[in-house]
Amino acid sequence: MKKTIPLLIVIVGGLIWVVWAFSPHYVLQEVFYNQFYLPWAYASASFAMLLGVLSLTMMHSNKIKMRAPKWQYSYFFFASFVITCLAGFIGGIQKGGLFMWMFENVQMPMSATMFSLLAFYMASAAYKAFRARSPEATVLLIAAIVVMLAQVPLGVKLSKHLPTISQWILDVPNLASKRGIMLGVGLGSVATSLKILLGIERSYLGGD
Amino acid sequence: MNIFERMQKLDRRWIYIVVALAIIIPLMIPYNSDNVTTPPTENLYQMIDSFAGREDRAILMSFYHDAATMPELFPMEVAILRHCFERNVKVFTLTWFPAGAPIIDYAINTVKEEFPDIQSGVDYCNFGYKPQAFAMVLGMGDNIANTMNTDAEGRKLENLEIMRGINNYSEMNLAVEFSGSSAGGMWITYARPKYGLNVAVGVTAVMAADMYPYLQSGQLIGMLTGLKGAAEYEKLVDVFAAYRDPSRDYNIVKDEDGNPILPGRPFGREILEDESIKKLIRITTQTKAELSPEEYIAFSAKYPENRGLLNSLKKDVDGQVIIDVTQITPEMRTQMGETMYRELNRLTRNTLYKFKVARIGMNAQSVAHIMIIVFIILGNLGYFIQKYRKARNQ
Repeated sequence: MKKTIPLLIVIVGGLIWVVWAFSPHYVLQEVFYNQFYLPWAYASASFAMLLGVLSLTMMHSNKIKMRAPKWQYSYFFFASFVITCLAGFIGGIQKGGLFMWMFENVQMPMSATMFSLLAFYMASAAYKAFRARSPEATVLLIAAIVVMLAQVPLGVKLSKHLPTISQWILDVPNLASKRGIMLGVGLGSVATSLKILLGIERSYLGGD
Repeated sequence: MNIFERMQKLDRRWIYIVVALAIIIPLMIPYNSDNVTTPPTENLYQMIDSFAGREDRAILMSFYHDAATMPELFPMEVAILRHCFERNVKVFTLTWFPAGAPIIDYAINTVKEEFPDIQSGVDYCNFGYKPQAFAMVLGMGDNIANTMNTDAEGRKLENLEIMRGINNYSEMNLAVEFSGSSAGGMWITYARPKYGLNVAVGVTAVMAADMYPYLQSGQLIGMLTGLKGAAEYEKLVDVFAAYRDPSRDYNIVKDEDGNPILPGRPFGREILEDESIKKLIRITTQTKAELSPEEYIAFSAKYPENRGLLNSLKKDVDGQVIIDVTQITPEMRTQMGETMYRELNRLTRNTLYKFKVARIGMNAQSVAHIMIIVFIILGNLGYFIQKYRKARNQ
C-alpha cells in the first residue's frame, strides 16, 4: 500500500498531462488546466519557497549546534538572511532603498567575482594541461585556437577568413556531435518517461 | 633543472598575475576596436526593430539568471532595453528566479535614466518574479492579462496603457530569454510549437554551443553569445537605433498622415559595411561633433536664432566642421537651450560607459584570448622539447 498509492498518483498524474498535451478538449484545457491546475500551482509555489527557507534554517541551525566543520559561516547566513529580509520588507526593493543598495554593492560584485575565477582556472589549465598528446587532442587544440581567435576583434584583424572557419567548426563538427548527444538524451527521456508511466521504473519510490 | 623543465613547473600564481594584468589593463585603458556583427545578433536586432512604433507588437524579456552571470548577460539586457526605448518598442520583463527580480529593476533603471519620457505601464511593464514558469508560458499564449494578473508594482494589467492592443503571443510575438544555463528551453518546447511565438536567447559564452542546434533549425530566431553578442548588439544600437541625422528635426514626431516618425534609422547591411560608421562606434571619450559642411548647414538651419553662436564654436579641419562641446560655457548652454545642447552632445557620438561596457570588456577578452593561446603554445613547446630531450638521452 505504501508504494501502490504513490505509484498510482504518478501514473494517473502523468497520463493526465499526456492527454492534456495532445487533446484540445474544453474539460482538459479550461476546467483542468485554467480552473484547477493554475490556482494550485500558484499556491504550491509559495509553499515551496517556505519549505526552502525552513530547510536552510534547519540545516544551518544543526550545523551550529553540532559544531560541524565551518559552522561559524552559518551565522553569516542568518545575519544576511535577516538583514536582507528586513531591508526588503521595511524599505522595499526599489532603487534608493537598502535592499537595492546591497544588491548592487554586495551581491552583484561578489557573485561576479566568483564567476570570474573561471578565467584564472582556464588560463592555468591551458598552460598546464592542454597538450597535443594525440591526433584527437591536436584537432581539439587547433579548433579551440581558431574559435578563440575568431571571437575577438584582434583575431578578426589577423585574418578576415577566421570568422568563416570558426563558424564552420561551430556549425558542422560541433553541431553533429551536439545533435547526437541531444537525440540520445531525448530518446532516453522518452524511454524513462514511458517506463515510469507504465510502472516499470520504480526506483524513484526508494528501495529496489 | 633546464628552462623547459622550469616552464613545465611554473608556479600557477605567476599565471594568475599575468591573467589579472591582461584583463585589468585593457579595462582601464579602452581602445577603439570593431566587433564584426554575426547573423544571429543581426536577426534578433532586426526582429525587435520590426516592432518599432507599433502598438500591436511587443517583446518579452525573461531574466532567467542571478547576479553571478551578470557580467556577460547584463550588457545584453541593457543594449536591448536601450534599443526598445530608442525605437519605441513595447517591452515586458519577467523572471522565473527570485534573485532575478532586482536585476530587472537595475537594468530598467540603468537605461531609463537616459530616457526621461519613458514610463512604466506605458512604454514598458515589469511582471517581476513569477513562479510556475510552465503554467505562465502556456497561459500567456491564451491571455497575458489573465495569466499575469498584476505587474511587479501590483497594478492590474488590464488597466495599463501598454496592454492596449496586446492580448497574447500573437502581439507579444518575441520572447528573449537570458540565462547562464538552459535558456529558451520552455519557450522552444511549449510556446513556439503551440502559439508560433518567436524565441531568441542571450547566453553565456560557454552555453552557446548547446544552443546552435536550435539556431540552425530555426527554432531560435536569434542568439546573443556572451560578451561578444552583447558587444555586437551595442554596436548595432549605436549605428542604427541611436543614430541621429544632423539635418532632421526630431521635435517633429508625426508625419503629415499622422504616422509616428521614429528616431534612429532602420537596419541596413550596406551601412554596416560603410567606412563612415567608424565614427559612430568609437568607445573612447568623444567631445567633438564632426559634421560635413552640408550637415552643418542643415543642422544650423534648425536653430536659426543660434546660428551666430554655432559659428563662434565651429572650427574647419580638413574640410569638416568640428564643434567641441567642452567649449560650451554655462551661459552659452542657457542661450542655446537644452534641446539643442543635447542634440549637439549626441552628434559627438560619445557613448555613455553603461552603453559600451561589453565592447570595453571585449578589448580585455581579446587580450585574454591571445594570452591563453600564447600559454597553450608555450606549454606545448615546453612539453615537446622536454619529451624530445628525454628520448634523446635514453
